[in-house]
Amino acid sequence: MAISPYDWTQSIRHRAEYVEDRLREGSPVVGISYPQGVLLFTLRGTQRKVFEVYERLMFSGLGHQADLEAVRLAAIDFAHEEGFRRSPEDVTIHRVVVALSPALKRAFGDVLSHPVIARCIFAELGESPEADCFYLLDYDGEFTSQHRGAVVAGTPEAEEEALKALSAAETPPQSLEEALRTALQAWALAFGAVAAKPSATEGGGAEPAPRREVEGVVREALKESEMEAAALERDTARRSRFRLLTSEELAFLRKDYA
Amino acid sequence: MEDSLIYARLRGALPASPGDFYALLAEAGHSLTSKASGESQSAETLADTRGTTVLALKYKGGVLNLGDRRATSEHMVMYDRAEKILPLDDHTVLAVSGSYARAMEVVRYLRHAFQYYRRTQLQEMSLEGKVSEVSRMIAANLTSAMQGIGGFLPILSAWDTAREEGRIFFYDALGARFESAEFGAQGTWAQRIRGIFDYVVKTKGPFHEMSLEQVLREGLVLLDIAADLDALTGGYSKVPPLALSVSAEGVNQLSEETVQGAVEKIGAENHGD
Repeated sequence: MAISPYDWTQSIRHRAEYVEDRLREGSPVVGISYPQGVLLFTLRGTQRKVFEVYERLMFSGLGHQADLEAVRLAAIDFAHEEGFRRSPEDVTIHRVVVALSPALKRAFGDVLSHPVIARCIFAELGESPEADCFYLLDYDGEFTSQHRGAVVAGTPEAEEEALKALSAAETPPQSLEEALRTALQAWALAFGAVAAKPSATEGGGAEPAPRREVEGVVREALKESEMEAAALERDTARRSRFRLLTSEELAFLRKDYA
Repeated sequence: MEDSLIYARLRGALPASPGDFYALLAEAGHSLTSKASGESQSAETLADTRGTTVLALKYKGGVLNLGDRRATSEHMVMYDRAEKILPLDDHTVLAVSGSYARAMEVVRYLRHAFQYYRRTQLQEMSLEGKVSEVSRMIAANLTSAMQGIGGFLPILSAWDTAREEGRIFFYDALGARFESAEFGAQGTWAQRIRGIFDYVVKTKGPFHEMSLEQVLREGLVLLDIAADLDALTGGYSKVPPLALSVSAEGVNQLSEETVQGAVEKIGAENHGD
């Protein structure tokens, strides 16, 4: 089948629209550094969303489950092969993301196959909060990096909204508890910023507006979703630094919005 | 790792054997299997560095691993700070005797293999799976071991989280594994001191009912006997042996002071006789 350059540009445009539409209402993921470690936080349905990749590396994202799983496995494969061939110190967040990026770009450009619907966040634990690092990797292979905190969400505007709130805080969170509180607020801002599409039954018409009242958004979301958070811990006697937080550890957040 | 392999993963191509690090390495073009060269004279001119005696003894609440610190090449002492007991993860420890180079490579492989399985499959590899993974590494090394180079024999000690008890597995040169109820010993003189272990068990009771301190003491005496009889084993007089315990709390390396203290106590008792 022959494809003209015009067809290709059109397909790419439709493809981007399609993927972004699918990502739009996904649950955001918030990453935050705190003195004892680095955290990824989200709300989810029934399936786990935050995963360990390597000794100092974890992953989460929004999108199609099969695609997120594919990115997760590709990252783990790369990290372990590299860590075995050279050393665990040679597996850095930058190298993992840079290894995945061209493959994502290629998959996006291959208009005859299904697109990868995934917007990913990687977090790397450093020796100190200043050295922690986050990378956001998009469905087309584009990536950016951030320190202290990062957000992936349904739209760039939503990400910006939440990130603004994260960086507006005067002092960075000093404990896991504070980090979780901040993360939930940022999550709500990002989720609320993706205004719900006006539903047909309500007649539509009205311009959808972002919802900025954190409390309402959280309360509503907690009715149907569960919180999930995982940390890479800076000082631990265990060989594995990654730890999925228990529901007991997250219970206090629920009380805040009871 | 090749770009095409990453691309295939992103397109949803699952590995032929999910969670299998050996298969991943093969896919990425590594070979862990030693190749037959067709001639064996190289082994006669090449002397590899070898670790000597290692012991694993059960105690009440886990398994204690002890190893002298000597690594030798033919009749030469290469290194007197060798670490021949290596934690693989929070609940397993590998003690190795034989080819140092090969054993270190295998330890690196096993650490990655266990973690790779856990991270991809989102569950811990079973103890049975870990025990088999060690067999596989010995079998993969067979050709080279038969040519007289790169052979190694490990003891795997584990805290079995399901049964809540310490377990010891030892292997033969082909990778067959055997579970031991009380102790395991591997290395140049290990086979010949096994009778002493039995004597200790029959006269002082089973190791798994002794305290960690008592087992440490018995183990050090056994290591000393091995060193007395075997020129290649370092014993404990120059550098304290390495001692690692594996229990429900995880893997713990006993401090040099603790081991040195136990050694001195044995010395004092012997002089008191």
